Amino acid sequence: MSIWEKMTSLPREIVMGLVLIAMIIPAMNPLGLPLFTGDMSRAWYNTVDALPAGSVVLFDVGYGSGGYPSLGPGNIAAFHQMFEKDLKIVMMATALEGSMMYPLVMEGVKPEQNYGAVYGEDYVFLGYIAGGQTAMAGVLGDLKALVSVDYEGTSVDSLSIMDNVNGADDFDLVAYMTTAGGTAEGWVYQAYSQYNADVLGGCLSMMTTSIKPYYDSGQILGIMDGIKGAADLEFLTGHPGDAIVSSDILSFTQALVLIFILIGNVSFWMTRGKGEAS
Amino acid sequence: MVSVDPQIWIAAFFTIAATSYAFRDNVVFKFAENTFIGVAAGHTIVMGVKNIRDYGWTHIMQGEMIYSVAFLLGILLYARFHRDYYWLYRYPIAFLVGNGIGISIRAAIHSDFIVQVAATASPLIKSDALGTVNALITFVGVVTSISHFIFTQEKIHEGAIGIVPKIGRWMMLLAFGASFGNTVMSRFGMYQGRIIFLLREWLQII
Repeated sequence: MSIWEKMTSLPREIVMGLVLIAMIIPAMNPLGLPLFTGDMSRAWYNTVDALPAGSVVLFDVGYGSGGYPSLGPGNIAAFHQMFEKDLKIVMMATALEGSMMYPLVMEGVKPEQNYGAVYGEDYVFLGYIAGGQTAMAGVLGDLKALVSVDYEGTSVDSLSIMDNVNGADDFDLVAYMTTAGGTAEGWVYQAYSQYNADVLGGCLSMMTTSIKPYYDSGQILGIMDGIKGAADLEFLTGHPGDAIVSSDILSFTQALVLIFILIGNVSFWMTRGKGEAS
Repeated sequence: MVSVDPQIWIAAFFTIAATSYAFRDNVVFKFAENTFIGVAAGHTIVMGVKNIRDYGWTHIMQGEMIYSVAFLLGILLYARFHRDYYWLYRYPIAFLVGNGIGISIRAAIHSDFIVQVAATASPLIKSDALGTVNALITFVGVVTSISHFIFTQEKIHEGAIGIVPKIGRWMMLLAFGASFGNTVMSRFGMYQGRIIFLLREWLQII
């Protein structure tokens, strides 16, 4: 068996082992590779930055534990910016596990300690609302008819942040972070198309190609594109975290993938004649 | 120094167990997989009951009896398990399908069709050179990709004009490539998050 034939059938244990090494090395010895912020992340940052203090944001924590490594750091950075600007955040979850991600994110933001924010006055978490687009339509249409208590079971009528919040017209911005394509489209349908609301979307990198047409057509004002977008937001908001640490690892591992693709293609071409002959 | 927090150890164990499948299927991975399914099922049941309480029962207790209709429809979903009355489950299904389509169809046509067509048909010459290039690529990509799916006219795929759907196919292949690249980045993004957790929270070496 020639070297090229061996290359075309590399055991996956070796590939995964090399990927693991490519992740551990830059994690232990950060290379400090330059970070270029993307247009979509800058648009997200600028949209939030343009909101006056006291503006109300509806934020969907629409991801679970699988999406947390990609979206959690960006969510934390986004909340840092929002609390810094003294915005009011009404949070909800369209993902079942979103209610488990909420405390993780708030642990990273620490709004009470860092910004003097008060639960019920400056932010609230309504919990998981089942129904996908039906839930979105309900929240934007007549929130209090749908939601009578927050995640902890406290009546929303007793929370001052909810005093003047009844539906889409009362939200100055609708933002979401999700791992579900249906949710990403759903907010565009229900918030932008139905109420012409300003929408920001955070999604996994693999979803960006399907969400970007909404950004290009002005239906989404900014996109947080997975871990890269999260690193951008951390940089722009001045709150470096896991995503910036991940940037080096990502660059390193992506380079390894490129090498594997090159090896695979070269090996394929070198052994193609033999395969056809046999 | 390695963490002494049992929660961190449990998380670290299941992270390693779950990712061990990448190397080879094994009993530790199966244990992690089954545990995850069990925990996820339990969590789903709890959240389901909480949803029924928060968005249904609470309203009925406040005298909004219209919510009892939702309860009735929900119960009818279980009729499918009954040999004689299984047909009753069709009513809540019909309601769910009709409601879902009704809520999304108008907005879908607006967002996915009207606004997209308008954006594609906007002036190709932009204020900056890069914007013009982007607009041209979008326009050419949309027109040629659509032409690739015209199957009722064979001649469009032949001769000199056949170059148009061929360009469309290349445009789609480029899009698939971009999607694949983004998917690789996404998966690594998830994996590296756990690697950072293992090195920082568990082993505490970074």
